[in-house]
Amino acid sequence: MSVYEDAPGKRVLMLGNEAIARGAVEAGIQLGAAYPGTPSSEIMPYLADAAKELGFHAEWSTNEVVAFEVAAGAAVVGGRALFACKGAGLNVVMDMLMTLPYTGVRGGFVIVVADDPGAWYSSNEQDSRFAGLWAELPVLEPWDQQSAKDMTRDAFALSERLELPVIVRSCTRLSHASGDVCLGEIQKKRNEIVFDKHWKIPYRWNVYGPPGPIEKHRWQKEQMKKARGFVEGTSFNKHHEAENGSKVGVVTSGMASNYVQEALNRLEKRGSVHLLILGVPYPVPEKMIESFLDKVDTVLCVEEGEAFIERQLHQHVNRLGKNVKVLGRLSDGVMPAVDELDPDKVMSVLARFLDAEPPLSGEDSDVREELSEMVCARSSSWCAGCPHIGSFWALKRALPADKVNIINTGIGCYEMSGYGIAAAPIDAKDTDESTRWRAVTPYEMTDTLYVMGSETGLSQGQYHVGYRDGKIVSVLGDSSFFHTNLPPITNAVYNKAEQLILVLDNYWTCMTGHQPNPSTGVTLLGEETKAPSIEEICKALGVQHVKTVDPYNLKETIDAMKEALGHEGGPSVVVPRRVCALQRSRELRRQRQKAPHYVVNDGCTGCKICLWLGCPAIGFDESKTNAAGGKGVAFIDPLLCVGCGLCAQEEVCRFHAHDKVGEGEF
Amino acid sequence: MVTNVKDLKEFNLIVTGVGGQGSVLASHIVAEAAVKQGFKVRVGETFGAAQRGGKVHSHVRIGDMVYGPLCPSRSLDVLLGLEPNETLRLALKYANEETLIITNTRPVPSMDANIGADAYPDVSLLIEALGRLSGKMVSFDATELAVKAGNERTMNVVLLGALAVSGRLPFETESLREAVKDRVPPRTVKVNEAAFNLGCDQL
Repeated sequence: MSVYEDAPGKRVLMLGNEAIARGAVEAGIQLGAAYPGTPSSEIMPYLADAAKELGFHAEWSTNEVVAFEVAAGAAVVGGRALFACKGAGLNVVMDMLMTLPYTGVRGGFVIVVADDPGAWYSSNEQDSRFAGLWAELPVLEPWDQQSAKDMTRDAFALSERLELPVIVRSCTRLSHASGDVCLGEIQKKRNEIVFDKHWKIPYRWNVYGPPGPIEKHRWQKEQMKKARGFVEGTSFNKHHEAENGSKVGVVTSGMASNYVQEALNRLEKRGSVHLLILGVPYPVPEKMIESFLDKVDTVLCVEEGEAFIERQLHQHVNRLGKNVKVLGRLSDGVMPAVDELDPDKVMSVLARFLDAEPPLSGEDSDVREELSEMVCARSSSWCAGCPHIGSFWALKRALPADKVNIINTGIGCYEMSGYGIAAAPIDAKDTDESTRWRAVTPYEMTDTLYVMGSETGLSQGQYHVGYRDGKIVSVLGDSSFFHTNLPPITNAVYNKAEQLILVLDNYWTCMTGHQPNPSTGVTLLGEETKAPSIEEICKALGVQHVKTVDPYNLKETIDAMKEALGHEGGPSVVVPRRVCALQRSRELRRQRQKAPHYVVNDGCTGCKICLWLGCPAIGFDESKTNAAGGKGVAFIDPLLCVGCGLCAQEEVCRFHAHDKVGEGEF
Repeated sequence: MVTNVKDLKEFNLIVTGVGGQGSVLASHIVAEAAVKQGFKVRVGETFGAAQRGGKVHSHVRIGDMVYGPLCPSRSLDVLLGLEPNETLRLALKYANEETLIITNTRPVPSMDANIGADAYPDVSLLIEALGRLSGKMVSFDATELAVKAGNERTMNVVLLGALAVSGRLPFETESLREAVKDRVPPRTVKVNEAAFNLGCDQL
């Protein structure tokens, strides 16, 4: 409710992503578009709530670049538009991101990018502020939920003043944290939606239109100069002067500024340093930096990400000829080289820098070390009844066991086939032949894993360069299929690359929190829409062998995969299709229906093969005697089991030791 | 109890458990009660990429000197544990000799334990360890109490009831009770109230 609640002055608890959406609503947003990507995923659903109420368009697009272009189109005709993505998502947008600034925008265009330092939900921990430097666009970096709301709101006006897109950089600890926010007024006035081909500049919306790209690039640079006035005057940049004539300074921004302020307070050093907090890390306020550098001889930079402000600071120290020592990520041993910051790390960095005693003592660390050995590991796993469990069990059985097969996997819940369990340490070696590795946990199927859409292309390179020591498989999901897999599948057909492509269709974009996608047949706003057929698309692209199976039917799925693996002359596609088990459970709850569940009967021999499904509902009780006279039987947690029936199938348990309890089907 | 919201410098609470148990919701209920009282509040969530079954902990920080969403090591006033193995994992890093630990004793075995890659510890040893790492420790089978209240899924609210009467929160028991009612689905208010009351009786 509070995302569109018209209650200026009211204080509410808001998630960072909710605060960003609220800022856009307060600015009178007219269009929002995104592709889900954690930690940015909640921004668009919050905007969707407001879109329904206030009457603007918000959508899940098929990928980030489409979303970006949808939003850019709105801004070209004068509308206020927001595009949101995770750090990795911005990479998908690069072509348009580097070019749109040459024409600029008419309506305010805000690009929200949520980085993921610490790679909690991401393949990398990139610092997307560099995209602002590269594309020559202003970057705002909020530090809490209030500033996230206010900066997003103000970014629209700044964008219209400069006629350029503006980047707002969030991070996991902001987007996925909550704080108290004081609501502001919701702007009722909306921009007029108009089109003028020669608005202020001839052929304004055509980079090649005379005067052409070079002159338009020159225009962009002039516009960026206008940002200087803003950055010197904005209260988002703050200089807290030291109280005692100290010559020591700390420069920080975003989430890191919180850790810095808490550490300074704990160390009782708040008044002993000049503290510069930059809400606008690009372009930096040159005059403010100059006056800051006048007061210090040593500066520590504490940033969440890479040395972004730090590099600019070095540049200004050189430009001004100052004798100031700048320390940070670029100095050896001052800051951690990788991983996200946290209060402890920043405390220890600042204590060392200020030669102060950190408050944390380690007197009982021996006790803690001893007790820590007791804690049981808890790795991520698939959910009970996840259709991917069936798909991967079938794939394992369908592939030739004596070959070194390559499974290239993309981004989605199925990627847990490559990292779900903290396996035994691997003794990595430098080898000169294809090597088979025995999996020691159920979650070791995937061989390569990078980014969305990479899987199908990698397979083709492996095939064309002559890899024949095993089968080559690409694994993707329904949302990935529409996101970035149509060009590589077309390419596989065009260039005759043999590979098995598995499109694991569970109707939802699950890993980011069950957003709908074209396969769902529902839009962001919950409206029904046409669901394109994955199979028909593959056939239209020229795939000769396309088969659909139910991953809960192991025999059918194994047979289909075996057959597809034998297909020659081009790619083959198998679509194991079943709705996500969590979504199915929710549906049953809504209908007040009870699913059956399974129990282990007296026939269990303790062979543990069902444990190798990797289903979290199946455990092993070492204390009981099994049918083979040995110790230990499998058991099924009745509260976790959803009744998918995978464990009871002949292809898993040949002793028929799993019985169904209850009626109906899951 | 804090009478002037500006007088509270820093209160640190972590709610920990396994994905799906409701630790994030429990932490938000505490945070919303605090916002209503006028406090400055931060909530930080830490969890892996999995939808279910992963380890989850949610930091709730209240007070005028709080800036970021994460508690520093050994800074906790209260650790609320929805699963005993996870309670110990967090106590090792965040508890100190004055921390109050309130934990559910009902284990949720991990996949690592299921496949024999690691062993789930004996619950009595877990509880003993928690006692060594805290100032005061309260443990009970909150899952059983939730079932008694009428729905196993109210286990998080049972623990909130215990937290509400612990005397450690910077606001009244009733504020938390109201926050629970405001936040849970309307048709579950009754069962959640029963769960809350059963939790209150544990201290």
